[in-house]
Amino acid sequence: MNLLAKLKKKGTLIRLRDRYIHMLKNDLLFSHPLKHIRDEGEQLIPEEGGFGAVLSRAGVGKTAFLVQLALHAMLENKYVLHISLIDPVDKVTLWYKELFNGLGQHYKLAQVNQLWQTILPFRFIMTFRVSSFSIPKLQERLTDLSQQDIFKPEIIIIDGFQFDETALDFLSNLRALARTHGCRVWFSVHTHRHEDIQPDGMPARLSTLSDSFNLILKLEPAGSIIKIVPIKGIKSRDGGRPVYLDSSTMLISE
Amino acid sequence: MKTEENVRNIGISAHIDSGKTTLTERILFYTKRIHAIHDVKGKDGVGATMDSMELERERGITIASAATYCEWLTHEINIIDTPGHVDFTVEVERSLRVLDGAILVLCAVGGVQSQSITVDQQMKRYKIPSVAFINKCDRSGANPDRVISQLIKKLGHNAVAMQIPIGLEMNFEGVVDLITMKALYFDGDNGEIVRIENIPESLVSRAREKREMLIDKASIFSDELTEAVLEERNISDDVLIEAIRRGVLSRQLTPVLMGSAYKNKAVQPLLDAVVSLLPCPSDMVNEALTMDEKEEPVLLSSDSAKPTVALAFKLEDGPYGQLTYIRVYQGIISRGETIVNARTGKKVKVGRVIRMHADQMEDISAIPSGYIGALFGIDCASGDTFVSPGLNVTMTSMFIPDPVISLAIVPNDNKSQINMSRALGRFTKEDPTFKTYVDDETNETIIEGMGELHLEVYVERMKREYGADVTTGRPRVAYRETITKKAEFNYIHKKQTGGAGQYGRVAGYIEPIESNDFIFENKITGGSIPTQYIPACEKGFRQCMVKGPKLEFPITGVKVVINDGASHSVDSSDMAFQAAARGAFLEAYAKASPVINEPIMKVVVETPTEFQGAIMGLLNQRRGMIVGSQDEGHMTVIEAQVPLSEMFGFSTVLRSSSQGQAQFTMEFAIFKQVPQSIAEKITEEVAARKKNVA
Repeated sequence: MNLLAKLKKKGTLIRLRDRYIHMLKNDLLFSHPLKHIRDEGEQLIPEEGGFGAVLSRAGVGKTAFLVQLALHAMLENKYVLHISLIDPVDKVTLWYKELFNGLGQHYKLAQVNQLWQTILPFRFIMTFRVSSFSIPKLQERLTDLSQQDIFKPEIIIIDGFQFDETALDFLSNLRALARTHGCRVWFSVHTHRHEDIQPDGMPARLSTLSDSFNLILKLEPAGSIIKIVPIKGIKSRDGGRPVYLDSSTMLISE
Repeated sequence: MKTEENVRNIGISAHIDSGKTTLTERILFYTKRIHAIHDVKGKDGVGATMDSMELERERGITIASAATYCEWLTHEINIIDTPGHVDFTVEVERSLRVLDGAILVLCAVGGVQSQSITVDQQMKRYKIPSVAFINKCDRSGANPDRVISQLIKKLGHNAVAMQIPIGLEMNFEGVVDLITMKALYFDGDNGEIVRIENIPESLVSRAREKREMLIDKASIFSDELTEAVLEERNISDDVLIEAIRRGVLSRQLTPVLMGSAYKNKAVQPLLDAVVSLLPCPSDMVNEALTMDEKEEPVLLSSDSAKPTVALAFKLEDGPYGQLTYIRVYQGIISRGETIVNARTGKKVKVGRVIRMHADQMEDISAIPSGYIGALFGIDCASGDTFVSPGLNVTMTSMFIPDPVISLAIVPNDNKSQINMSRALGRFTKEDPTFKTYVDDETNETIIEGMGELHLEVYVERMKREYGADVTTGRPRVAYRETITKKAEFNYIHKKQTGGAGQYGRVAGYIEPIESNDFIFENKITGGSIPTQYIPACEKGFRQCMVKGPKLEFPITGVKVVINDGASHSVDSSDMAFQAAARGAFLEAYAKASPVINEPIMKVVVETPTEFQGAIMGLLNQRRGMIVGSQDEGHMTVIEAQVPLSEMFGFSTVLRSSSQGQAQFTMEFAIFKQVPQSIAEKITEEVAARKKNVA
């Protein structure tokens, strides 16, 4: 990467013609409610190779929440690899487009399409069948991408991973891989209504795994909103100002 | 006419040299549509396809014609021409959507080759149920078992043999039918006598084993069959066929038949399978779109009593004028009836209604729902939908994308010039995405379309079908100009130095808009420009959109607002305000930071997984932005957005990087600003071109 590109990536060099888009991005990041659950410039997941999890029952909004985390990161010029084990590329693309348009409407952004085009290169979608998803395969794909300088993810989102008895091994191998590539990893975790819940909020089935995550959030439907309940690793700011998902738009709101 | 259950609208899908022509020829012979078999010349060589084309022309039949009708047992079979190319053209889509089922022909020696993958992907894309036919079992090196395993591994089909061969290569004698458990031999000069015998002793155990496999795979689709298996009851032929049929209709099972069309062996059982396993029109779900902006799907019911919905899927020039091939999806089209062309809204009276019989036609009184026929004397374009008066639906989307690529074509002689004009007239009628015009400056005929392959196909058709020998220029990308910021104008057009004077002043601003349209807004208050001159102002601005001042590409995405101006009681005129508007636009345009936009294509590459890394590299080198990759077992689908200008020659590079196994489709996605370095290059190219013209 040459010096200009490096400066641009760091956000210290803004070309005159990109100034308007840069201001749009800043406005959006400034107004975004995620600022209430993290410090400016800090990552929600503190360390490279760290894991975060979003728990909820089916259909509550795990994917919507994760996509918004991804959009937020893309606005900060961070590269996001979205791995879906449930949806095809087209459907994942649609999630992003819909939620971004929702953000655009909510914050009344002008030239939303132009902004969308500037953040798109920061996203890469991979989809796998659950049965064929494995660490060696992911390793191979990531190496392909980084060696050819196509894409170097800083955040990986894994949606639809089945947490079972083999998950512990998988997580420890993934952690090593994520450290090598300097990534933080977010998971969606599907819980069930009938499951026993541990005192720390994790389902009993996943109790052995809870140490693997640096941060755990739970989505709980409550009327027209979906509460975002921090279970582990969240530092609340602004005196713990609550952040939730608006169930009509699925946008993170305050 | 027979009932709808007895109709099959099928396509024969095959790669070059797998015997599609020979097989079609035999089908027509056994169904008594033709009375003698003629061989395809040069069958082993590269010339085979060309020879077969010649043969078709000579005999005036069939594969090149849109729909050929034949009868087998109590069923009507319409064999519809399926184009061999996969470009996302409207024409391909139309031809495929009239099919209800298909025969996938594979070569027993070559097996699943890259072109088989291509044709299979076509069928998948349009959700067409199919049966496979392994042809050329008489050839040296024939191995149907290997082809079946390739169908499973390479194409991901749940393929299962319905027959086993009796002998192979030179000793190929016939097949064992695993449903009736009988050996079938084909006697007579042309294999027309089917002799049914007991299975040869040496094949009995293998036949039993393969039948078990067939029953096992079919049982998933039928509880009755599963129960019969569990209770170890006798399985009737009907139960087994019904289970296989259900698997075929849901596209979860591909029964495999085998034979040798050239040696006249086992074509009749294939026809039996078409009749018993492939869907009839009412088995398929067909949808139309409402004609409002939302284009919502409407389910059509295969009922002749309902209002008519029919699709004109192919036009042909015949000795009696234009022949329009039509498939009726709902209702009935009868002679003398009035129908409406949904695109133009014009009412049309149905004249002659016919059905194609190989090289002859038969007059019929009506085409009911599910059937294919042809109309004479209807002036329409290919892809038009005909409906009953009052019905507002269409079978194809009404939104036609703008062309993204152009090519200059020059006829090589006078005869070609005439033929080229005829061909262009026909193609523009057939395909709304294909356009043509004569460049004022260079006097060249320019054809425009949706991709390199799209235009290549038409140039090839011009040569083959119309005998128009043309030379093509280099393809040119359809760039656009637009502005990136707001700029004001205040321009006076004044010519009052003698003769009739001209005076007009327009003031306002131009600003970028997100859509590709042109918007004109009049915010004049107090009559500073009299109302009668406002349309002239708009016209003046619109004229500027055709050719941008920067590089003479069309301008898009601009909003013009006029909010002030002045006029003269004598010297102002429409002409004066048009000129003022043009001057105003030029003044503001230079200040509005104009840029060049280029068409970005959505490119989808389907490749065996082992080549996905290399192909992502290829796309990346071409300024492509990879949207994502989808792992589909042995295949990976990569989706990317790549500038069209970088896609020239991509198919060759893709083939060599994937041992010919990857294929791609491309369609227009958006217009995007070109990077500075590329913009400079384009500027140089345009300057050089202008110099050449001058």
